Amino acid sequence: MNQGILKGLRILDFTWVLAGPYATRILADFGAEVIKVQSKKTAGGAESNLTGYFSHWNRNKRSITLDMSTPEAKEIVLRLARISDVVIENFSTRVMSNWGLDYERLKEVRPDIIMVSMSGMGQTGPWKDFVAFGPALQALSGLTYLTSFAQESPLGVGYAYADPVAGLHAALAILAALEFRDRTGKGQCIDLSQYEAMCTLLGPALLNASANHKDISPQGNHSDNVSAAPYGCYQCSGADRWCVIGVFNESEWESLCNILGRPDWTREERFSHLSKRKENKEDLDRFLEQWTLQHSPEEVVNLLQQGGVAAGVVQNAEDLANDPHLMARDFFVPLEHPVLGKTVADASPIKFKKNSRDKWKAAPLLGEDNRYVYTELLGFTEGELSSYIEKGIIT
Amino acid sequence: MKTRDPNMNLLEGIRILDLADEKASFCTKLLADMGASVIKVERPGGDVSRKIGPFLGDFPHPERSLFFLHNNTNKLGITLNLEHSEGKRIFRRLVDRVDVVVESFSPGYLKDRGLSFEILSRTNPKLILVSVTGFGQEGPRSQYKSCDIVSSAFGGQMYVSGSPSTPPLKPFGEQSYYAASLFAAIGILLALRKRNLSGEGEHIDISLQEAVVSTLEHVMIQYFYEKTIPKRQGSLHWNNSFCILPCKDGHILMSLFQRWETLVEWMDSEGMAEDLKDEKYKREEFRQNHLDHIVEVLERWTKRHTANELFELGQLMRFPWAPVCSPEKILESPQLKSRGFFVEVGHPEIGTFIQYPRAPYKFDGCSLDRWERAPLVGEDNMEIYQRELGLSEEELKRLSSIHAI
Repeated sequence: MNQGILKGLRILDFTWVLAGPYATRILADFGAEVIKVQSKKTAGGAESNLTGYFSHWNRNKRSITLDMSTPEAKEIVLRLARISDVVIENFSTRVMSNWGLDYERLKEVRPDIIMVSMSGMGQTGPWKDFVAFGPALQALSGLTYLTSFAQESPLGVGYAYADPVAGLHAALAILAALEFRDRTGKGQCIDLSQYEAMCTLLGPALLNASANHKDISPQGNHSDNVSAAPYGCYQCSGADRWCVIGVFNESEWESLCNILGRPDWTREERFSHLSKRKENKEDLDRFLEQWTLQHSPEEVVNLLQQGGVAAGVVQNAEDLANDPHLMARDFFVPLEHPVLGKTVADASPIKFKKNSRDKWKAAPLLGEDNRYVYTELLGFTEGELSSYIEKGIIT
Repeated sequence: MKTRDPNMNLLEGIRILDLADEKASFCTKLLADMGASVIKVERPGGDVSRKIGPFLGDFPHPERSLFFLHNNTNKLGITLNLEHSEGKRIFRRLVDRVDVVVESFSPGYLKDRGLSFEILSRTNPKLILVSVTGFGQEGPRSQYKSCDIVSSAFGGQMYVSGSPSTPPLKPFGEQSYYAASLFAAIGILLALRKRNLSGEGEHIDISLQEAVVSTLEHVMIQYFYEKTIPKRQGSLHWNNSFCILPCKDGHILMSLFQRWETLVEWMDSEGMAEDLKDEKYKREEFRQNHLDHIVEVLERWTKRHTANELFELGQLMRFPWAPVCSPEKILESPQLKSRGFFVEVGHPEIGTFIQYPRAPYKFDGCSLDRWERAPLVGEDNMEIYQRELGLSEEELKRLSSIHAI
């Protein structure tokens, strides 16, 4: 912590649950000093410091407590903003302005402040006050509708994907604003809509709807847009074991047929060309699955990849935790937590080959950094600090 | 081409060469949309990702791939043959003039052509090279072939998506490419900051698989902290807090536990609360144990309403619900319309405008309103080779005739 690329960058972090904490985690991983503002009242559920969820998303950050409902809190936040580069929040619109802490006010104490607001819908528009969590944003963006099998009712992605997506966009926006500030000396107010962030990842489908005026239907693992056949997910031997295979060109097709011991298929009229194979994909998929069912997904994937065919194991959490490739790349790192003990964190997928990884610290306990932030950074005397604590302002 | 006011342009002056195919073209789109100067370098004839659908007018053609058009806005485009010695020489000259190169070749491809990071850095020591591949530059699987479904499977998305009665399900679209591109774009801006401090370039190694694992929300947490393996459970959210129910005209995503008493009152006012009014249902634990019954009763009620009715009335009562929208519905979203989320981008060569989604952030101190469609194959060859590199017209003709550009 505090030795990386973003050393010296201070972020005052009002975000909670996932989209916001995901963004600040990326910046904390690279050395930014992220000060997470918590309180006894808000540190519940997924924001409770001793849960796995909290500890996973808040490593490398600092925690202070401050009860934002008290009138004194505002002055303290302004003092913190004065020494911060970035203020980030993912409240509903108006929360910050109700506290008297909107961008205009923050700018008075820190003219080049970068303020990021990342609400579900954005700061303007008829839905600006709507509440939306990841799954709702996935539904609104078209992702849920299209991630389904044609005959079934919508299924969608099995987790809150919209949160990391919004968090990634927010981290990118902050770094771009810093780049701009370095060049011009100017701060910035950023209005990020999580709804829009999810929609941008459906871009080609949205263009298809707007340019071709088409009704687009879900196709499961198939897609008219992929020029590959076979292409899909196939059951293997073992309980709930699956592999995926994608065959994009003729040499891969020949290779697949040889591995299956069916070189004769390459001479069959119905499989003679990609377009033919797409037409007859049901036959093809059935034949292929008869073969995959006799093997473990690892066997299938080894054989096919050796033959130059794209194939993958459908991995679950346990497979991932023990994945030899991820281990060889040091993708999982141990972190010692003062209460939870030994924990495992995922490394950043942003791998700098020249830079060795920064020293990481487990997620903070509630208010762990009160003393550092309030006395060292803000210069409170011990007496002031204990008086704020007694009054329940720092709590 | 419209020029941007440097004082209002976020990423003014950052120069990027984009050699990436479908795996990472979105990375440089993100930066180009923020004002970086991006030159897309395609093989003669055009990049392979131009073959990816959907296509404009459903007519497959390299200039009509909506996938390519979406992922290459605001870039210039040139063609260059890296298999040709003269092509390589020109490439080196281009590399020496930029800050960043983004590529997605198989690991070793550039090295085999004498274009490794080490060699490129000799003449441009500040170079930032970003490599986006299926499994990264190193490790036992680094030479494996990949594509979106392979990254999705190996990265853990598929196992937890779908229902218990279906095969695992890949999230729609090229999500592994987008996730990796977002990490890569963040990596570039981090590396630029590092370069400002140290004066040194950097080689960034991005793996599609790792990008996917990093965006799985609860999946690894459940395993590391509770030793449970999350499974797919249809539209029921992993912690049972949301599910999708049918309406008169589509589907609604509903929360199952928030504001329970308000929900039951609402249903009761329409005479449809059935036994959910019972005191025992007020306990969340009881509800968790009787989820199937609750969903059945709810479904009888939701079927009497349209998805939009439930969404808008529900939101007035602070229910975090949402209709399950198809892409056509999204074009009509009053929220997106009001925020100008769709921008009209001109395609003069076919005499039309197409609506594109813009970037999801607004910067009050900068304008992100320059929107140029993706380049045609080799559209900016003249501009770059003649004006930037000073090649003569005869030289260009010669290079073209030997298939170097």
